[in-house]
Amino acid sequence: MEKSGSIDSLGSKRSSSRQPSVDSLSSSSTSRSDRSAQVKAPSSESTSSEFSPERVKPKAAAKHVPRESDKQEPQLLPNETVQDLAKDVTYFCPFSGALRGTVIVTNYRLFFKCMDREPAFVLDLPLAVLSRVEKIVNASTRGDVSYGMVCKDMRNLRFAHKHIDDTLRKSIFEVLMKFAFPVSNGLQIFALQYGQVFPENGWKVYDALTEYKRQGIPNESWRITKVNDHYELCDTYPSTLAVPVNIPDEEIRRVAAFRAKGRIPVLSWIHPESQATITRCSQPMVGVNGKRSKEDEKYLQSIMDANAQSHKLFIFDARPSVNAAANKMKGGGYESEDAYQNAELVFLDIHNIHVMRESLRKLKDVVYPNIEDSHWLSNLESTHWLEHIKLIMAGALRIADKVESGKTSVVVHCSDGWDRTGQLTSLAMLMLDGYYRTVRGFEVLLEKEWLSFGHRFQTRIGHGDKNHTDADRSPVFIQFMDCVWQLTRQFPAAFEFNEYFLVTILDHLYSCLFGTFLCNSEQQRMKEEIPKKTVSLWSYVNSQVDDFTNPLYVNYSNHVLFPVVSLRHLELWVGYYIRWNPRMRPQEPVHQRYKELLAKRAELQRRVEELQREVTNRSASSSSERAGSPTRSITPVQTFI
Amino acid sequence: MLSGSKSTFKVRQMQPDMKERMMTQSGGNARSRDVLGLRCLPGECVLQRVAMVRKKLSSREGRGWLSGTLFCTHFRVAFVPQDGPKPPDNADPVLLGDHDVALASIEKVVVVGPNRTKLVTPSSSLKFTPEELLLYCRDMRVVCLLFDRLTPDSQVLQMTYTIAKTYQPLKPGSVLSFQNAALGSVEMKQFLSNRCREPQMNWFESALDWEQELERCGAVGWRVSGVNERFEMATSLPRFLVVPQKVLDTELKKSFAHFSEGRIPRWSWRHPRGADLLRMSSFQNNIYHEKDDIRNLELVLFGGHSSLCVVVELGEELPSPPDVQLAHSRLRGLCLGDVSSSVTVPDDKWLSTLESTHWLQYTRSCLRKASEVCCLLRSGHLTVALQEPEDRDLGALVASLVQVMCDPHCRTQMGFQGLVQKEWVTSGHRFCSRFNYHRDSDKDEAPVFLLFLDCVWQLWAQFPSRFQLTEDFLLALHDSVHLPLFSTFLANSQRERLKRTQHLGQSYTRVEGWRDQTFDPGDPCDPPLPPVWDWDLQFSKERQVAFTQPVASSGPAPALLNGNLNTNTDTLRITDTIPGSVFLLSRGSFSCPPHLPPWRSGGGGGVYRKSHRRALSSEHVPGLERLLKAWAVAEFPHSFISHSGPQGPLDPYEPLLPLLLGPCMSLWRQCYLRGAIHAQAFSHPLSAPQPHPVDRLSQEVLLLRTRLAQVSVSKDPPSPDTRRGTTGKRLIHPNLNHNANNSTFLYPGPKASANAPPRTLPPSANTPPRTLPPSANAPPRTLPPSSSSARPGAHRSAGKQHSFLFGPASPAEAQTEERTRAPHTQSKPPSAS
Repeated sequence: MEKSGSIDSLGSKRSSSRQPSVDSLSSSSTSRSDRSAQVKAPSSESTSSEFSPERVKPKAAAKHVPRESDKQEPQLLPNETVQDLAKDVTYFCPFSGALRGTVIVTNYRLFFKCMDREPAFVLDLPLAVLSRVEKIVNASTRGDVSYGMVCKDMRNLRFAHKHIDDTLRKSIFEVLMKFAFPVSNGLQIFALQYGQVFPENGWKVYDALTEYKRQGIPNESWRITKVNDHYELCDTYPSTLAVPVNIPDEEIRRVAAFRAKGRIPVLSWIHPESQATITRCSQPMVGVNGKRSKEDEKYLQSIMDANAQSHKLFIFDARPSVNAAANKMKGGGYESEDAYQNAELVFLDIHNIHVMRESLRKLKDVVYPNIEDSHWLSNLESTHWLEHIKLIMAGALRIADKVESGKTSVVVHCSDGWDRTGQLTSLAMLMLDGYYRTVRGFEVLLEKEWLSFGHRFQTRIGHGDKNHTDADRSPVFIQFMDCVWQLTRQFPAAFEFNEYFLVTILDHLYSCLFGTFLCNSEQQRMKEEIPKKTVSLWSYVNSQVDDFTNPLYVNYSNHVLFPVVSLRHLELWVGYYIRWNPRMRPQEPVHQRYKELLAKRAELQRRVEELQREVTNRSASSSSERAGSPTRSITPVQTFI
Repeated sequence: MLSGSKSTFKVRQMQPDMKERMMTQSGGNARSRDVLGLRCLPGECVLQRVAMVRKKLSSREGRGWLSGTLFCTHFRVAFVPQDGPKPPDNADPVLLGDHDVALASIEKVVVVGPNRTKLVTPSSSLKFTPEELLLYCRDMRVVCLLFDRLTPDSQVLQMTYTIAKTYQPLKPGSVLSFQNAALGSVEMKQFLSNRCREPQMNWFESALDWEQELERCGAVGWRVSGVNERFEMATSLPRFLVVPQKVLDTELKKSFAHFSEGRIPRWSWRHPRGADLLRMSSFQNNIYHEKDDIRNLELVLFGGHSSLCVVVELGEELPSPPDVQLAHSRLRGLCLGDVSSSVTVPDDKWLSTLESTHWLQYTRSCLRKASEVCCLLRSGHLTVALQEPEDRDLGALVASLVQVMCDPHCRTQMGFQGLVQKEWVTSGHRFCSRFNYHRDSDKDEAPVFLLFLDCVWQLWAQFPSRFQLTEDFLLALHDSVHLPLFSTFLANSQRERLKRTQHLGQSYTRVEGWRDQTFDPGDPCDPPLPPVWDWDLQFSKERQVAFTQPVASSGPAPALLNGNLNTNTDTLRITDTIPGSVFLLSRGSFSCPPHLPPWRSGGGGGVYRKSHRRALSSEHVPGLERLLKAWAVAEFPHSFISHSGPQGPLDPYEPLLPLLLGPCMSLWRQCYLRGAIHAQAFSHPLSAPQPHPVDRLSQEVLLLRTRLAQVSVSKDPPSPDTRRGTTGKRLIHPNLNHNANNSTFLYPGPKASANAPPRTLPPSANTPPRTLPPSANAPPRTLPPSSSSARPGAHRSAGKQHSFLFGPASPAEAQTEERTRAPHTQSKPPSAS
């Protein structure tokens, strides 16, 4: 019975895209397996899930596992090659105990399989997700060599195998280390070898000019400038920038000199009605002596003048005021309200990357592998993770509120304007503009606010770099995605994408399978020819967008989302942070059910129309002889999706 | 119009109209509706009225503000939204509108003025004009009302004073005056006495009710005993008890003395695999166990199963009623915040403060205990007896939780109502003392029932599609508890409840329950109290529709509950236990203490004692422990993965075992955080998608199905009339079929939902509805006979298509199924494979 439901949904999915005939419906029941295989090939288990939550990843559900257990080896990706294989390796699963099986290391993944269990136990993860691998020397287990691995995605692994006497032969984990940190070992990142071809080219998703045009730029107050065409003005900014019309390029250069790293205030988003704008930049180089720049002051004045609705300008400094003041010692600082007339400066109290990294580390301690039930909430509180999330969301909410309700333009910056600033602008844009809440819109948002404006993904994530203690690493982007998830929780029908979409993006943030999150800036990506040499994550996503679609999506494109940011209404993103814990598996594939419901509705609707046509035809052929019989009025069925 | 607001409006012209309407039950009279826009109850007086008031909406209501008129009557604070939908003139009186608050549920009145807040008491006088009025309710709502600046100060002050003076904080005696204010009028009394009881649920009041339950569960070896019919054996027990068939009433009578308060082991429920669930109070140790008694005691305790009995001790691991009370009052304090005393917990301490209430911890321990019991029951062929010293609190909680987890019927609205009747209301949960309505039992106060509702909500949150009832229903029940109007909650035992109704001149007939033919107007001080299950009194039809899922659970059709569902082949072989083994389950392990049951420890029962000693060798203890371990393991993927997943075969009686890990126990925000004033600082009227798209989606599916059924009917000439006939009959019966209670309950599922009115599509300002092409709008409904020659072919093809969608091979059958949409077959009817 359950089965029929799913066939039915798949069937009607097909029928909606292809010919809606009964034949195709019945045939689809057999084609379920090949459909899943089809989908699987590109996805290549890249979510690396040991136990992926069913809700977000129905494909990995029980029915596939036995089939996989027939095979000893993983399905290899194009240009993926097996580097080493070792039998009799023990994996210490923190949830189900020690498991003995085979390990395969390729240039992309670590694959462990234990056949002793039914169904077979499989661990399949991209090597790039490893942040640290170390040999553990333990006197008590003589003869065994064990390796501990710390992963970037909230889990740790531990393996052990018998000591190898042959000194020439390397342990499989030595091989693994080489391929897990290709950058440190002079190897290529796998994304540069992966040659999968997808029907769509994700590198074409974002085009700066098209996006500005969508927002109505250029207009009478804003122009597109080519001053950064060769990344001379600012090497961390994109080549295409939108600036106030009345500031010539020469003045822009002088403004750049006053802003940290040359990151001048540029347009992120403009309100379609009020013309209030969100602009982003880095801190002004005020320094201890309170340096001023006439050009910068004029520049901000013209940002304010571009919006006729308000004679004020809000400058949101994401930092706590103490930190902002401390930056004066290093030549930075913040705008003084004396120098910038009609501007109001607001500090948003969001802490720096080091605090965030520490908070996430604490969170990992609390959730992995074991959760202490009796002190769960106070332990969670002590990580302060949700508090940070709250501050970021509250900041974005204030920005969105100023722009939407106050019709006032805002300038957002932190120190360099590539971490907290990106979080705030992109979240505010997500609240303000329904376009960014679609799958493609969200891709554009990431490409624009994060990738093109130079969030330093390479540095913050450390792709292929074994230096795990690097102080520049920080979960800034994860925090942003967490905030997006919080929004989807509070507005379940306002987003076209689902939780699986967010998890998939985070998985591929680390996987190094796609080129999207490589490098630190647009300039570097151009230099390395990343778009030519790698596949975009969006190629993969857009080729099977069904998996990432929220069945409940209602197009509230004109609506502004103002979430509740009290800690009382924020939740921990259990589906991401605790997804490795098998005791956290959601009980019901609710998401799947919605999809089935949608499919059922489409099917029923089609049949009603069909039958009505039939009835109409027939009654038309014979005149109304039973006109006196009671007629029931039929109201047109309303559709909302 | 506004100038008159200081005076009191008596509802004079209203009474004759209302009376007339009550008598005739028909006819709309426009004048009967309202006083200045408020639909009053008969006899209700409007004391104050202020126009242009804005009410803050919760996130559930869509957030933002609603403007309208505020009334204070001597029964409620009512808010009538501008341009709100007007109820039809001939509608039955609804006690409280969607935005109303009963005076008795107000706990505290706080006003917010410029820069200050103040708690208003009946005697207080304000030195400033309030801008905002906050009503803190006992059900954890906080109603926030904003006065308009143009409203004269005097009006605002008058309204504030009036509310402060008339709201009735619970104190001895105030409940009765409140009841009189609400229900005391002659019209209201008459109206209430003419209400008929919900016929589709089991009230567990008559012997027949219990027999139905036995039959529904397929329990054999049990009988309904009337030994306590006059409450002579145990005052707190129901009039009818289910006991083993082998025990005669005369023998049974002797066993009452062996249990505290005479609450002997009684049958509660049978798992379809044959295990029985019993409830009892603690053993009386200080009594001499006569040899003759012992046989009966053993029989009573073992029920139908001679082999194995597990006594589950509930006292130790579960919170005591005082614990529950403390936790709940802490939770209230935390969630409600407090504007007047500004002791709101700061956001950064929210989580740890929530933890320190222990509320979630208690919820978890109750669910854990119930899960353990479920795992024992599903192994089949044993008796599980829940033992609590008094057997009136946690016994009820665990027994009913177990049934919610195991029995799909208890997850329907009607089934759940029956369950509450069975385990709580008639079994003597001391609702009146536990909720302390009269403020005379402070030390007994403990909202154990609310803890139960929270546990059910946790289950619902983890398994939403396995429930036919919804969160809205649980919320409605939660809030009703705080309204001291319902006979369900205003007594400590069935005995008290019956005493009260009989005192009112209602005649109690043994089989059919209450049937009050004669209305006795001679008792003005004691209005008849309705049961809480008469939802029409409190909620509009539109609100009630949300009590159940429009498309219910996707589980397969239930197998017949006959007690021998033999599906589990790998059941542990515990049935060959030495007859008469009794084990104690405590703290997750089994033991065999010598004083359990006490009569075995002393002399006497030598035979039992010997066999019992052998059983003590604990050879079966591991077997039992494995049952529990199986549950612990079930939380792991490897055993779990095989039967979970969207396509996994679902045994309908496979218990819903909740995840109990810290992050899985969540706070019932929709209930406890409704009043968090500070939470919606930046709310936006349009931001919340309302109603929930799932609702709308399923409504559409339903609508489409109905239309499909209609269309296929109109394709098939013979069927329309018959179909319409059956529909008509079905629709009649909820109101008129008074005796249906006893005769039709055997198939509760389909009946329960057959009458559910189709959900009306709520107005949605948010989404422009896209309509079908006009060609589909109004096709002729009937099929002319002349086309009958073409019918067979068309019919066949239609049938074929139906088999895909509905299962049954003909449109007619398909339609029948549609009409009787059973809770378990709706969304995925069996496919004709």
